[in-house]
Amino acid sequence: MCDYQKCKHWGGNQDYTSTRNKRKTHLCCDMAEVEDTLKRIQGYNGVIGSIVVNAEGIPIRTTLDNSTTVQYVGLLHQLTMKARSTIRDIDPQNDLTFLRIRSKKHEIMVAPDKEFLMIVIQSPTE
Amino acid sequence: MSNTTVKQKRPALKVAKSSKTLNVSSGVFRVNKSISKTINHSFSGKSFSSGGDSRVLDKSSAQTPKHTVQVFDEHGQDVAPRPLYNPDPGVLQPKQGKIFPAQDTSSWTTMTDFPSVAFQTTNASNTGPFTRSFFGSISASRTSQTLESVTDETKDLLVKQDLSNSLSDVQARREEVQEQVREDVLDSVVDCYLTETETIWLLDIPTVSVSEDSEDAEAVKERNNAYTELCKNRLGNDKYVERSMQTFNGAPKTKEVQCDSITMVDKAVMSTIWDMYDSFCNKSDVSGNTVVSDQGNKADVPDSSSMSKLDLNPKGPEQSKSMVSISSTVSGSSAQLEKMACVLLVEEEPDHELILQSDKFKQDLAVMERVILANIFQPKLAAYRQLPVIEDPDCVRMAMGSKNSPSPFLEHLWAFECGLTMGRNVSSMTWNKKNPDLLAVGYGQLDFKDQKSGLVCCWSLKNPTWPDRIFHCESGVTALDFSACNANQLAVGMYDGTIAIYNVQAAEQTPIIDSSDCSKMHTCPVWQLRWIDHESGLAGEDKGEILISVSADGRICKWVHYKCLECVDLMTLKTPDLATNHMKWNRTISALSPGLCFDFHSNDSNIYLAGTEDGYIHKCSYSYKEEYLETYIAHKGPVYKVTWSPFCPDVFLSCSSDWTIQLWRQDLQRPVLCFTSGQKAVFDIMWSPHCATVFGSVSEGKVEIWDLRISSLDPTIVSVTCPGVNPTGLLFTSETDCVLVGDSEGKVTVYKLRNLTDGGSTQVETLEDVIQSTLSSQH
Repeated sequence: MCDYQKCKHWGGNQDYTSTRNKRKTHLCCDMAEVEDTLKRIQGYNGVIGSIVVNAEGIPIRTTLDNSTTVQYVGLLHQLTMKARSTIRDIDPQNDLTFLRIRSKKHEIMVAPDKEFLMIVIQSPTE
Repeated sequence: MSNTTVKQKRPALKVAKSSKTLNVSSGVFRVNKSISKTINHSFSGKSFSSGGDSRVLDKSSAQTPKHTVQVFDEHGQDVAPRPLYNPDPGVLQPKQGKIFPAQDTSSWTTMTDFPSVAFQTTNASNTGPFTRSFFGSISASRTSQTLESVTDETKDLLVKQDLSNSLSDVQARREEVQEQVREDVLDSVVDCYLTETETIWLLDIPTVSVSEDSEDAEAVKERNNAYTELCKNRLGNDKYVERSMQTFNGAPKTKEVQCDSITMVDKAVMSTIWDMYDSFCNKSDVSGNTVVSDQGNKADVPDSSSMSKLDLNPKGPEQSKSMVSISSTVSGSSAQLEKMACVLLVEEEPDHELILQSDKFKQDLAVMERVILANIFQPKLAAYRQLPVIEDPDCVRMAMGSKNSPSPFLEHLWAFECGLTMGRNVSSMTWNKKNPDLLAVGYGQLDFKDQKSGLVCCWSLKNPTWPDRIFHCESGVTALDFSACNANQLAVGMYDGTIAIYNVQAAEQTPIIDSSDCSKMHTCPVWQLRWIDHESGLAGEDKGEILISVSADGRICKWVHYKCLECVDLMTLKTPDLATNHMKWNRTISALSPGLCFDFHSNDSNIYLAGTEDGYIHKCSYSYKEEYLETYIAHKGPVYKVTWSPFCPDVFLSCSSDWTIQLWRQDLQRPVLCFTSGQKAVFDIMWSPHCATVFGSVSEGKVEIWDLRISSLDPTIVSVTCPGVNPTGLLFTSETDCVLVGDSEGKVTVYKLRNLTDGGSTQVETLEDVIQSTLSSQH
């Protein structure tokens, strides 16, 4: 039985993504779960946009238009690199896990990684 | 002097072999020239005049190529420059044998070719004046002295063969010497003598200026003066005649050379502390991932390059694949390496899918979600945790009409709900014993009529919009409890009598263990579950945590988890015969009254209370199965909940569907206080963990908070819920002064108790005073 709560698949012949996160979900359900979470994030109060890009700057998922996405990604990538370099220069065993930039109008939250970059822009709730 | 030295050279032959003798004949001439020049220089700076010594020089030059270079200075010391190339004599020995006969013919031919060559060179007329005359003189001397030179040649060759023989001797001797060395004891101390070779002068340009303090200064000055005078007198003097010579200038010739263009490449390296640390770690981590160590250095450069300049134009699929593969090998996880193996076969599309499915991405997603929600819910959560609320400086906040009423009220903070839980009835709620932010909520219909599948959701305070764990159950959930020893184990009791234990850490849908295999499982809904910790284990009893359940089939059971759940009856709830004081068993029909609730005493885990559907509350002992210790009869309807007071050890509270809440003292048969506030059944009650005189109750359509200090007749706070929605569960928080209310629509609302008088202490004395006063007033 698939662990994904909305799984509607029959049978057990579909591939499982087992030992990785100790769950038995169909591969398609695994993806569906991720999509669910992304949709939820986008639907929260005040969230303007969310972007997921891979290491080269190609958008995987984005809710903003292309030019805005490209602009955000290009600028934030450099800033993330600089921030990570700063953290690691101080202590090479440390690493950057999360970056939040609070501005007058928005808050930009960046989750960096070697393979991808996740950016969410949220405006304060009223 | 030069003659004598030259003659000395002829018979003198040294062992050292010069490779210059093997040169081609034309090269010999040049060698001669250089040799002659060096010879001259060693003769203490005497100038060389071409005229007089040319013949002598010819002879010497004719013969010097055959002999080794012998350079002697005035004192007769051998100052010959040692050859830069010393071939191993052993190696060359066979070569010599071959070459010499070959050279005989070649040398003969060269000898015969001499005149022709010389004439050719003279005809060429592209050499300097010195060389031309030199060649001419050579040829002249050659023709006259051919015989002599031939004999010299043969002599030389014979000498050379002697040389070769001597060399072979040398070779043999050397081998003997080497064998001897090998046989020697290796431990012998060998003295090594370090000597300095003589200084080899490569370039010696004597200075042209002399210091004024030196001894020669006067002589030099005189000479200088004489020279200046000479120059002055030169103009009109007959001694000096101007002559001019015509020199032939060689025709210049342009020569072109073509080479590959030199491409300039800019190369930059960024050196940071972490970069060095990474390279060091990658290099030393050879045992772990060999791929990483192999590609560690290579991967660093493209990785940094890919990171440093983000190329927004998508490259070709092959390039992007290689970039991703390199970066993933640097990250060094074997699971990702396996992924990369299949990525390289497929196109770029699934690449994105793999990123989305990676664990790191899911973690980051979860963190991001919590961060966003923390932003949204910050005021509410701060109120919950009794922290100061941070005002958002940039956000235009409407002035909240804060209720400044002094009377206590329930402030609505937020509600745990999501699409999954809408429409379900909240049947039970419990906090995690270890993590006070984790809440487990069970959803299940309490009525017999509309039964659907049950749901257990584990909510975290950090995410009120979506539960962290969702477990689907086959039948409605009626009871929940977290274990205290293993904080990740959640026991779930269901409407069909099954008890399942889930592991909350992993999100697996299947429980660790299920009681459906047990033969003595409950046949009716499990109304309450509790993990009881027996610190004071009696002899023979197992210490540790035990799961106790009460069910509508009239049994209170103890469940032990060895390999499967095993059930032992603790008590069967038999209906007491009220006609007599003793309990009689009806032999023909033994009716068991359904048990609805139970509660173990907080101090003495041997005593517990059980409430039944008959309205009786039985005090039972854990170790005594047959009879009750005591029965409290006051309620006229099923007792839904019975709880000991957390502060007063003798006081307990019970609620029932007969609209009443009764306060008991365990030594009195009649209840001390009775609370009614309406004509609706009371479903749930709970003592406040902070104050001894406060408890909350939930009835149809109302949530009430009672404070016995203020009044024992009316509840202090009454909160009316929306019509149609019934609150079904109540839970106090142990850390803060909030209360959770679950209702029949699937919502769990969090309220903050406002303006409730906080006495500071737990008010135990107040409660006892109240009880005392009530008792005294009754008599």
